[in-house]
Amino acid sequence: MRPLISIRGLRKTYRMGDEDVHALDGVDLDFAQGEFVAILGPSGSGKSTLMHILGFMDRPSAGSIVFEGQEVAGLDPDRCAWYRSNRVGFVFQAFNLLPRLTVLENVALPLTYRQDSDPGRNADAARAALERVGMGHRLDHRPGELSGGERQRVAVARSLVGRPAIIFADEPTGNLDVRNVDRVLDLLGSLIAEGITVVLVTHDLSVAERASRVISMRAGRVQEDRRR
Amino acid sequence: MRTVDRLRPAVVNGLRELRANKVRSLLSMSGIILGVASLVAMVTVVQGMVGNFRQFVDAMGGIEKITVSREPLPREQEHLAELSEGLTMRDVVRIRATVPLIANISPEVRVGFEKLANGHRETLTYVTGVSADYLPVAKRWVDPDKGRFISDLDVHNMNDVVVLGAAVAADLFDANEDPVGKVIKVRGRSYIVAGVLNNIEGSGFQISSARSRSSGGSWRYRNYGAFIPVTTALTKFLGTDRLSGLGLRVGDPAQLQDAVDQTERALLQSHKGLRDFGITTNEQTLEDFRRTESAFKLSLGGVAGISLFVGGIGIMNVMLASINERIREIGVRKAVGARGGDLFLQFLVEAAVVSFVGGVLGLVVSMGIVSLMNLVLAAAIPTSASSMLDPQVMGMGLGFSVLVGLVAGVYPALRAARLDPIEALRHE
Repeated sequence: MRPLISIRGLRKTYRMGDEDVHALDGVDLDFAQGEFVAILGPSGSGKSTLMHILGFMDRPSAGSIVFEGQEVAGLDPDRCAWYRSNRVGFVFQAFNLLPRLTVLENVALPLTYRQDSDPGRNADAARAALERVGMGHRLDHRPGELSGGERQRVAVARSLVGRPAIIFADEPTGNLDVRNVDRVLDLLGSLIAEGITVVLVTHDLSVAERASRVISMRAGRVQEDRRR
Repeated sequence: MRTVDRLRPAVVNGLRELRANKVRSLLSMSGIILGVASLVAMVTVVQGMVGNFRQFVDAMGGIEKITVSREPLPREQEHLAELSEGLTMRDVVRIRATVPLIANISPEVRVGFEKLANGHRETLTYVTGVSADYLPVAKRWVDPDKGRFISDLDVHNMNDVVVLGAAVAADLFDANEDPVGKVIKVRGRSYIVAGVLNNIEGSGFQISSARSRSSGGSWRYRNYGAFIPVTTALTKFLGTDRLSGLGLRVGDPAQLQDAVDQTERALLQSHKGLRDFGITTNEQTLEDFRRTESAFKLSLGGVAGISLFVGGIGIMNVMLASINERIREIGVRKAVGARGGDLFLQFLVEAAVVSFVGGVLGLVVSMGIVSLMNLVLAAAIPTSASSMLDPQVMGMGLGFSVLVGLVAGVYPALRAARLDPIEALRHE
C-alpha cells in the first residue's frame, strides 16, 4: 500500500549568526494511513521542525516529501494554506482557541478559509465534530469558560472538522491534569479508526507509549523507529 | 466563494474586536470622528453661506439686474457739470427704444422716510417713486387679492396712489380690514391704496411655496416701504426731473455684458457724452463671493483633510498595536488554513469598520456643530438662513472615513498577512 506521506533526505538548515544549524539532517520516514505515531525527543532534536514541515507550515531546505502521491516540498504559501485547511489538522499544547469566538465558531474556523465555505454547512460540520469529542453541549460558550481538558477537546474537534488525512498534536497534554491526559489521548487514539493518521509530538515517554509506533529523534536525525 | 461571503465574517469580526476594545477603539477613532465632523460641518456651513448669498443676490434683483446710478462727473469732464442733466425719464424712453436686450426698465426715485397715516394710525416708512417695471426688476409681485401695483397709467397721469409693503399695511390697517381702495395720508396729502406687495416671510431655512419666485429667508425688512408713481414723486415731492437711478432687467442673462455696453452707449449719446452715471451689475458681487467661498472651502477643507490624515495615522497606530497583541491569533488562523490574503482582508476590513463607525460618530458630532453654528449665526446675523445637513455631504463624509481607514489599514494588514505562522504561534 502506498504510504500517506513519504519523506526522503529531508533537511532543514537555519542560519544562527555565523553558524548553520541543522534542525533536520537527512530524515527518511514513511507514514501510513490510520497510523498512531509518536515522535519523541528532547527539545532541539528536530521533532517540532519535522512537524511544521509535514504540517505545511514550513518548507524544507532540501529533500522530498510525497503527500498522497504528490510532491509537496516546494509548494507556494497559498498552496500550503490549502493543504492546512483541507488535509491537515493541528492540536497545540496551549490549545490556541480564539478567545472572542464561541466554541462552535472556533471549530468551524478552518472551514471558513475554504473556497467552498458555506456558513450553514460549516456550522453543521462543526457541531458534528463537537459531538464527536463530547463537547456538543457547549457550542455557544467562549473558550475562557471551559476547563483545560474541555478546551483541548474543542481543539481536537477543530483539528478534525475538515476531515484531514493527518492530525499533528504538539504536546497536546502538556497543559492538562492527569485525568484529562488520558481522556485526550484516548480521543486522539480513537481517530485512527476513521482512517486519520495521528502524529503525537512529545518529549514525554509515557505519552509516546500510547502510540503504536514511536519515532525517537536526536540532533536532527531519526534515532530509533519502533513499532509495537 | 462570493466576495460577500468573504467580507461578511470579516465585518462581523471587525465589529467584535471593536466591541471588545471599546476605549481603545474610541481613542483610535477620535481623529476620524473629528475629521469627518469638521469636514461635514465645514461643507454644510459653506453651503449655508452660499444659500444665504443666493438670497442676497436675489434680493438685489439677481444676476440679470443692471443698476444705473447717478455719479459725479469724472475729473476731465468736471468743467462741463452745468450741462449734466442727470438721469431722467428721457433716458428711460431712450433705452427702451434703442436697447432691445433690456426687458424691463424701472426708473426709481428715492423720496425718503415719510409719515403715512390712516386716521390716528401712523407709521414712518421709506417712500420710493417707481413705475410698473419695478416688479419684474425687483422680483416682487402683488397677490391677486391684494389689489394691483403702480400702473403705466398711474405714471402717465401722475396719480395719487400708493402701494404698501406688507408690514406697512399691517401697521396701518387691522388684519381683517382690506387696505385696497382706502385713502391714507402721505406727508399730509391723500393717497389711494392701490395694492399691497407680497409678504416676504419667514426665518425658515427655505421658502418654497409654489408661487414664490424670490426665496424669502430672513429678508423680512423688505416688507417695509411704500411705492408711489415715479412722476408723482418727482413732481409733488421733490420738484425735479432727476431720477435716483434706473433698474434694468436683461432678458437673457447670457447677454448681460452686451446689454451693459449698449446701455452705456445709449446713455452717453443722450447725455451728450457726459459720464454722469455709473453702471453696475451683480456679477462682480457674485465673483467676489465665489472667491470668498473657495477660500473658505480651501482653508476649512485643509483643516478637515489634516484631521482625517491624523485620524488615519491613529487608526494605523492602533491597528499595529492590535496586530501585535493578536500575533497568536494570526498564527492560529494561518495554521488552520488562512492564506496571507485572508488575513490581509480581515485586518483591512477591520480598519475600515473602525473608521466607518468613527465616521458615523463624526456625523453625529457634526450635527451638533451645525446646530450650534446655526444658533450663533442666528444671534449674530439675523438675515442668515440656517444650514441643514445634506445627505449627500454626509455620505461623502462617511466615504472619506472608510477611505482613510482602508488606506491606513493597508500597512498593518500587510504585516499581519506576512507573519510567519510558526513564529506567530510561538509568540507569548
